[in-house]
Amino acid sequence: MERLGAAQDNMENVLRKKAKDLLSSGEVKVVIGYGFNRRGTHITPVFITKPEDADKLVFNPRCVNNLSVYLTRKFKDIRAIGRPAIVAKGCDIKNVVVLIAEAQLKREDVYIIGMACSGIVYRQELWKGELKPEIMPTKCANCDVRYPHLYDCVLGDKPAFVPPDKPVGMVFDKIAALDEMDSAGRWAFWIKEFSRCIKCYACRQVCSLCYCERCITEKNMPQWIETSAHPRGNLSWNLTRAMHLAGRCTFCGECERSCPVNIPLNLVNKKLIQVTEESFGFRSGYDEKAHPPMIVFSPDDKENFIK
Amino acid sequence: MADIFLKTEYLDRLIGSVRQAGGRFIAPCTDARQTVFKEAHAAKDVVADYILAHNSYKEFLFPQTEVISTHKVKKDSVELKGIECAAQGTVIFGARPCEAASLSALRAVFTWDSIDEFYTKREDNTVVIAVACTRGDDACFCTTVGLSPDSTAGVDVMFKEAEHGWAVMPLTGKGRAFVEKHKDVFEKAAPAVKPLFYPEKIKGVDIEKIKERLSKKEHYEDPVWPELARKCIGCGACTFTCPTCHCFDIIDEGTAYEGERRKNWDACQFDHFTLHASGHNPRDTQYKRWRNRFMCKFKFYPDKFSSKGCVGCGRCIRVCPVRLDITEVMEEMSLRP
Repeated sequence: MERLGAAQDNMENVLRKKAKDLLSSGEVKVVIGYGFNRRGTHITPVFITKPEDADKLVFNPRCVNNLSVYLTRKFKDIRAIGRPAIVAKGCDIKNVVVLIAEAQLKREDVYIIGMACSGIVYRQELWKGELKPEIMPTKCANCDVRYPHLYDCVLGDKPAFVPPDKPVGMVFDKIAALDEMDSAGRWAFWIKEFSRCIKCYACRQVCSLCYCERCITEKNMPQWIETSAHPRGNLSWNLTRAMHLAGRCTFCGECERSCPVNIPLNLVNKKLIQVTEESFGFRSGYDEKAHPPMIVFSPDDKENFIK
Repeated sequence: MADIFLKTEYLDRLIGSVRQAGGRFIAPCTDARQTVFKEAHAAKDVVADYILAHNSYKEFLFPQTEVISTHKVKKDSVELKGIECAAQGTVIFGARPCEAASLSALRAVFTWDSIDEFYTKREDNTVVIAVACTRGDDACFCTTVGLSPDSTAGVDVMFKEAEHGWAVMPLTGKGRAFVEKHKDVFEKAAPAVKPLFYPEKIKGVDIEKIKERLSKKEHYEDPVWPELARKCIGCGACTFTCPTCHCFDIIDEGTAYEGERRKNWDACQFDHFTLHASGHNPRDTQYKRWRNRFMCKFKFYPDKFSSKGCVGCGRCIRVCPVRLDITEVMEEMSLRP
C-alpha cells in the first residue's frame, strides 16, 4: 500500500501518472475514473485502457458518481477487459468493501486508487465554481473516510477535517422530524413520496449493492412485486429495495441523486443504517472481513422486537 | 382573428375557463423541488421561469400505467370487460416546440397496424400550447435535429413571450377552435415578442450521415458501440423522460379469480426487455440495448414512419445518472469514416 501525498491542485497529475504506470506495466487493463464530457461541461465516468489516454482523468468536487457499480457482475463487458483499477473516494470504497465482504469481488481483483477528498457537490448542476456546505450532501458533512480506509495506493494529503461527534445535516434533521410523527403521519409522507415513482429503476441500476442479475421485481412466476407504477406497486418496490439494503447500504446517496422524480431515498436508507447500528452495532463498508448482520446469526442478537 | 394577446394576469382566467368546461389544464408546476408537467388549478401553480419541464407531457396521453381490461373467473364462465378510454379534454400549456414535435411520432406508432384508442382518443382531445423558448441550457439540441425554438410541428397554439403576456398564434383547426372557445380571455394586440433562444447547432453532427451509417450492416458490430455505451447503467430514466419513447408492457395483476390487465411503460434499456421465454436474449448486453435505442431514434423511426425519433429536447442527457450524452454518440456516428 502506497501513499502518494499531493496538494489538492496537484492530485490530478499524480493520478494520471499513476494510471499511466498501472496501464503500461500491465498491472491493470482498465482504469475506471472520472473525466469531462466532450463539451467540458460535466463530469462523467471514463474507462481508460491506453496509457496515453490517462491524461483524460480528472478529480474535483463534481466527481459525484460512485464508480464501484462498474465492478459488479452486471457489467460483463467491463469485466471482460481485465483487471480494473478504480478511482474512488472514501465513500465509494465503502461499497467496494461490501462487495468484497459479500463475495462479489476478491480483494486482489481490483486495484483501488483511493482519493483524499474534501467533499463533493450533491448534484453537478449545483456547482458554481466553489464548494460550499449548502451544496454538499449530508454524507460529506459527517465523513470519516475523507482519507480512504482501504486502498492499494492513496493520493493526496490527509484532510484536516474531523467529523462532528453528533451527525449533522439535512438528512438527519428530516429523519428526526419523521421520527416525531405518528405512524399515520409517516405512512402518509411515504405514500406521497413514493407515489411519484415511475419505476425507471435508476436507483437500483446506479447502486453497486443492487448487483442481482435478476432483481425480485423481475421475478414473475409468481410476480412478487407489481411492476405497475401505481401506489401499491411503488410502495412495494421501494420498501423491498430498502429492506434488501438494510445493514448493507453505505449511504453513498447515488440512488437519491439519480432519482428523476426526487424521492428522498437517503432518508429511508439512513434510517435503516441507524437502526442497524443501534440493533447490531454494525456499520457497513468499513471491514471487508465482517459479514453484514442480516446474514449472520449471533446468540447475542437482540430479541426485543419479539413482543 | 389576428394579433391575439393573452395578458399574464389573464392566464388564471384561461385556466378557469378550461376547467369550467370540464377540461384539465396541464402546465409546468413545481413538485418535489423541480418543474414538472402537472395539473394546474390556478395560474399561481404555473412556473414561468423554466427551461423545460423535467418530465415529458406524454404521460397525460400515454399514462405510466392504465387498466385496459378486467377479468373475473366465475363458476362456468369468464367475464371479460374491456375498458372504454374516457379521454378528458386536456390542454397542455408551456410545452416547448421540440417536444411538441414528438406527438406525430407517438401517433405514428399507436396507429401503425392497429389503432390504439387509449392514445388516439386522448390525443384527439388534447390541445398543445407551446411557449417558444427564450432560454435553454447546454443539453438543448433542437437545432441539431432540424427543429428550432419556434418550430410548429405538433403545436396547436403557439405562444410567444412578450412584456406582460404572450402573443398567441393558433396554428391548427384545434388551436383555432380553442382560441375561439375561450375568446373572452384574449385581447387584440400585437406586442413585441422577446428574442428566442437558439441552441448552437452541434457542428460535427449530420443526421443524414448518421442514418446512412446505421443503414450499413458493418456498423452493427462496430467495436465503437461497446465503448460508447460502456458507462450506461441500464436504467430507464432516459426512455421514461423521452417525449418520443413509447414502449409498453402488458401485464396482468390480481388473484387467480379476478384481476385487471394493465398497459405499463417499459424501456428497451432494461435487461429483461427482450428476454425470450426460451432464455435467449438477443440484446444480452447493455451496449446492444443502447445501440437499439439510438437506432430506433435515427433509423427505424425515420425509415418506418418518416418522423423524428429524437426531437433534441435533451431530457435524456440531463436525467442520465452517468451523463451519457446522446449528442456525443451522434457526433461519433457522423464523424467516423
